[in-house]
Amino acid sequence: MTTTISREKWGSRFGYLMATIGAMVGAGNIWRLPYVTGENGGGAFLIAYFVLLYLIAVPGLMGETSLGRYTRQGLLGTFRKVYGNNKFVGLGLVILIFNIVLMSYYSSIVGWSIYYAYHAVIGSFTQTQFDTAALWQAFSSNTALSVGMHTVAMLTVTGILLMGIKGGIERMAKWMMPILTVSLIAIAIRGVTLPGAMAGLEFAFSPNWEYLARGETWLAALGQALFSTGLGWGIALTYGSYLGRNDDIPLGGGVFTAIGNTSFGLLAIFAVFPIVFAFGISPTSGAELAFVALASAFGNMTGGYVWALLFFIGFFFANMTTAIAITEVGVTTYKEERDTSRSKAVLTICGIIWLLGIPSAMNSSILGYLDFVVGNWGLPLATLIIMFTIGWKFDANRLRILSLNRGADLYVPKFWESIIRFEIPTIMLFIMAYFLYSNLTATPWKTVSGLAILTLTVPLCMWIMSRRQASAHPATNVGGQSS
Amino acid sequence: MSIAAIIVMIVCIVALWGVASVALVYSLGQEERKLQLIKKQGSFEPYSPQALRDLNRWIEQNNTSEHAQEMRNVHEEQRAALQKCTSYFYTWNRSDIESLKEI
Repeated sequence: MTTTISREKWGSRFGYLMATIGAMVGAGNIWRLPYVTGENGGGAFLIAYFVLLYLIAVPGLMGETSLGRYTRQGLLGTFRKVYGNNKFVGLGLVILIFNIVLMSYYSSIVGWSIYYAYHAVIGSFTQTQFDTAALWQAFSSNTALSVGMHTVAMLTVTGILLMGIKGGIERMAKWMMPILTVSLIAIAIRGVTLPGAMAGLEFAFSPNWEYLARGETWLAALGQALFSTGLGWGIALTYGSYLGRNDDIPLGGGVFTAIGNTSFGLLAIFAVFPIVFAFGISPTSGAELAFVALASAFGNMTGGYVWALLFFIGFFFANMTTAIAITEVGVTTYKEERDTSRSKAVLTICGIIWLLGIPSAMNSSILGYLDFVVGNWGLPLATLIIMFTIGWKFDANRLRILSLNRGADLYVPKFWESIIRFEIPTIMLFIMAYFLYSNLTATPWKTVSGLAILTLTVPLCMWIMSRRQASAHPATNVGGQSS
Repeated sequence: MSIAAIIVMIVCIVALWGVASVALVYSLGQEERKLQLIKKQGSFEPYSPQALRDLNRWIEQNNTSEHAQEMRNVHEEQRAALQKCTSYFYTWNRSDIESLKEI
């Protein structure tokens, strides 16, 4: 039988599903997907996106979640169980480091959303002649304020994680995700009833079929399908490790998580673009869309206070549930590796992230650089490692039989194995090669330095873990068998 | 809005919100069924007939594998649950249950 350690479990199915979907729905769904859709052929992009979502994200999430549920351990414990007591546990450390680096700058984005939620509460956007561009400029150039908001963000994450899986993450997600849903629906209804709003929906949905023949459309769809679902970052694995042995994975952890996550993107299209077009704002993405364009549009709408409040509180919730999930990967792993209390693990990991996040909070160029390195190579490499581990080392066939189809609401057939073994790893290698090719001439310094860091990280982590394994774990389990 | 855009929009709504809503409701309902079975009889069978066939096939084909014992244990757990329980989570033929042998 599989040897597992005693650990906390999700309190309810609804709580697990909300926590998982909250982990995946972040800033990208709201400020990126609508624009990427409109820019890449509208309906044609969405078709490419759906195909890739069902072919890659759904099966990938099923695999990652079922591996976590099988081992019932965090990242390093899982890798130790699969690879044995050797240097390859360092591959888990690589993923953990990418997570911590990702969270170090994502915390700044959470800080931005807290700051704008505060301004929405005090009604700044509805003041006469309020200049949202000036507010964003003043905020982003104020180092102390940026570091302060990063600190507030990390304190909030710490507070929630201290309450545990059930009492913290699950309880918050059960409130935050329904509120986010209702907020976006309310804004969407208001948005589509504005004069000129239909042009926004036309921009987003009008299909330009020739885009389906373009490689760029498929690459954009691939990037969105992979990165917005958080596949391979260790989040699904960590959350899956808190599932019961007979809980369903394929329908909840796979289909609902991937499709539900994209459903929020669709909701964001309805909420954002009608307003953007109704107010004659040029469609864009990222911070400028949320904090300048939309904030300005809310100020000019009837009942703007309510719409701004709903949007920015919802945006904060989307970011916060993602931040909690990214941080939990480190907390779970640290707690198990150090055999310490959850409180100590939370304080240590959050403290490390807070310290590492200060440079990104002080300088947006650092944030941009880290996002470039982690987004272009770090996360695809993490996904590649996890899929290789599931498909080849653990054996996708054995995992499907033992864990994935156990208690399943949906039977997963054999072809799932070839997706995990061949399709996703090939796509990941292709993505990394493409990013290298496309960035090398445009940003050679960033590209070479980023690659150098990554190239060094893998052997360094393997070396660290081989030294640690020898002293700390004299015996371990490989696939449930003692070795 | 153009007809094409309206069609794409409707397809998106069905393919995303429709599928996500059905998956959520169905999944919550199924887990509720599991809870009821646990309350009533303490446990239920963890594998469906199709999943059990995969498990049997694996054991047949990898009888000497280092993981074979783990798979046999899982098979035994399934067999015991099917024999002990009076209500099942998955749909079974009586003959399938009766023909299950210890491996």
